[in-house]
Amino acid sequence: MLSGVFHGSILFLVSAGLQVVFGVQKIFNLACGSFYALGAYVGVSAVGWYVGAGGPPALFIAPLAVAGLAVGAVGVPVERGLLRFVYDRDETFQLLLTFAIVLMMEDAIRMTWGTSPRSTSGLYLTYGRVGVLGTTVPVYNLIVIGASLAIAVLIGWLLTRTTFGWIIRASADNREMTEALGVDMRRLHTTVFTLGTALGTLGGALVIPATAAMSEMGIELIVEAFAVVVIGGLGSMRGAFVGALVVGVLRSIAISVYPELEMLLIYLIVIAVLVLRPRGLFGGPPA
Amino acid sequence: MRTTRRSFLRLVGAGAAAATVRLDAPPAFAQAGHPVKLGVLTIRAGIAAPVGAAGLRGTEWWLERVNRAGGILGRPVQLVVEEESNPKDTVERYRKLVLQDKVEAVLGGISTGVTLALGPVAEDLGTPWLSWDGTTQKGVEETMPNPRWAFKSVDNEVEAIVAGMLTARHFKGIKTVAGIGNDYSYGHDCWQAYQAVLKRYTPDVKFVLELFPKLGVTDFTSHLAAIQQSRADLLMCSFWSGDATIILKQAAAVDLFKTMKGAFTTAGGVHDSLKKNFTPEGLLLGYNTMYFDDPKGSALLKQFVREYKAKYAEYPPYECDHAYFCAESYKAAVEKAAAGSTKWPEKATVVRALEGIEVESLSGRRSWREDHVHMCNFYQGITTHKNPYDFVTIDPVEVVSTKVAMKPAGTKLFDWINSWKI
Repeated sequence: MLSGVFHGSILFLVSAGLQVVFGVQKIFNLACGSFYALGAYVGVSAVGWYVGAGGPPALFIAPLAVAGLAVGAVGVPVERGLLRFVYDRDETFQLLLTFAIVLMMEDAIRMTWGTSPRSTSGLYLTYGRVGVLGTTVPVYNLIVIGASLAIAVLIGWLLTRTTFGWIIRASADNREMTEALGVDMRRLHTTVFTLGTALGTLGGALVIPATAAMSEMGIELIVEAFAVVVIGGLGSMRGAFVGALVVGVLRSIAISVYPELEMLLIYLIVIAVLVLRPRGLFGGPPA
Repeated sequence: MRTTRRSFLRLVGAGAAAATVRLDAPPAFAQAGHPVKLGVLTIRAGIAAPVGAAGLRGTEWWLERVNRAGGILGRPVQLVVEEESNPKDTVERYRKLVLQDKVEAVLGGISTGVTLALGPVAEDLGTPWLSWDGTTQKGVEETMPNPRWAFKSVDNEVEAIVAGMLTARHFKGIKTVAGIGNDYSYGHDCWQAYQAVLKRYTPDVKFVLELFPKLGVTDFTSHLAAIQQSRADLLMCSFWSGDATIILKQAAAVDLFKTMKGAFTTAGGVHDSLKKNFTPEGLLLGYNTMYFDDPKGSALLKQFVREYKAKYAEYPPYECDHAYFCAESYKAAVEKAAAGSTKWPEKATVVRALEGIEVESLSGRRSWREDHVHMCNFYQGITTHKNPYDFVTIDPVEVVSTKVAMKPAGTKLFDWINSWKI
């Protein structure tokens, strides 16, 4: 169960990045998985550098999180240099472009970090293990779950209590009106896309002590993020949160009870949601 | 003699024809100096990219040595590299290599899903194809028992068979076993073969859990929870890519191998990512057909490992050896088929020469069985931390030949295993 929640927390960060970008820019960003992989690789390098420089292992999470967030800045050139040209094009072009970014990033990662899996050796258990509900869980997993919850609350606060959040919601509702009221859409798009990217890269960085970085690791996550978004509702943050939790926990339960159902169960839920509530659990009414 | 208009034109025509013949061109039959083109199919994208990269690096290392020594029959060798992706596109690239690039042979092919489709095409196009790692098996059954042009890799399930034999030898008293492998043919076939072999040595063993996550999964915490719940004595795992590293790391986090033994049939494919601080001693670990740190390794292996490490900052995995063997055996077959002459032999003569040929590869002597399947040794052993690296190696090193661990030509896998006298 807890293993499912851990997986769900990472999935939430990536899906939240996907949702915030879709909400404002109306682009379904397949490259969110690549940003996740990029965050993982940069996380490995940052932690490797930090440990090599003699930093205390107990604080490794700080350079990891900072590196994860900082590399989110890659969102700026991607948005300014590529995405802004397709905002008014057909959705197919947008999907093709973000898919092209997936392929390019995979190659760029391979050229930079090589083909072998990369991992942060040994740091996963720095904070030890605890017994929870009769099973042993690395404390790091609980920290990631906590961090993910904190980010969810922070995003909630950002969207509902700050001017920036109101602008985001306004532009998601009615782009032309928001622009007419004097909001600099160009800047907003760059900021929102970078925020979405940083959520993905942070997710990748945070997961890395528990796993190993592989250049194609993003592809797997894109598929699951799709399921999260369909279940939760496209563009909804609450949807991303609940969807990620549903996918993570159900997958975990299926593996324990009936392993053959691992993926089938998730897609059965996706189909059920599409049939019974096509806009997802928290999706808004059609425009 | 009078020069008529007709004889004059004949003279001009002959002169023009003569002018087109270069005086410095060698006689057509010798072809010395003209590069010989070899096609290479390798995977450079996706989860198997590290495997493909290793195969290509092994081939390039062979190429440099051969060209430095004067090429094959005096002709320098040139590689034409194409991507192995899905079966349809790879078949098209194979055709391009043969028909457009006019290569003398094609080396490579990693995924059996692809090489199953390549086999019949290679037979149609009449050019030797020497597969690195792909077979023409559907599951554990051979689909091309008598090929003419196709030369195939070791049967996929051999490392699981070797692991089954060594599990019985090193982990006596095992009563219950859980298995995890990727959800495609390789994972399922390895698990089936492993069970059949272990059952022969320890008939009362029970197989209590089987898990088949998709290829590319990076979170096994839920799978590990299920494995712990199964309370099996041993976990068999046939992962061969980064997922092997990840499951070992996540297993260490829940102390799985404090109470459980482990047999990782193929994880040696990513051996230098199996760091000591999460990979325990005492696991059975398979390196496929080449162990980079083999204390009995040849001078060739030691030179290769040294140069590979210097160039790529990694220690070489097994695919280098498959690839080196394919290229080296092709060279030996051409030289054998030429039988001392400088004339380049016909492709049909080369494939006949390949049958049964034995050469020195990186891992030692390797050969082609008469039915066009690799014959070689498999290296597995028990993980140890007693080495100068930051990752595990094996000690003792168990070497098992395909002569004992691969089904003989024309037999059915499970009939063969059940016929063993133990």
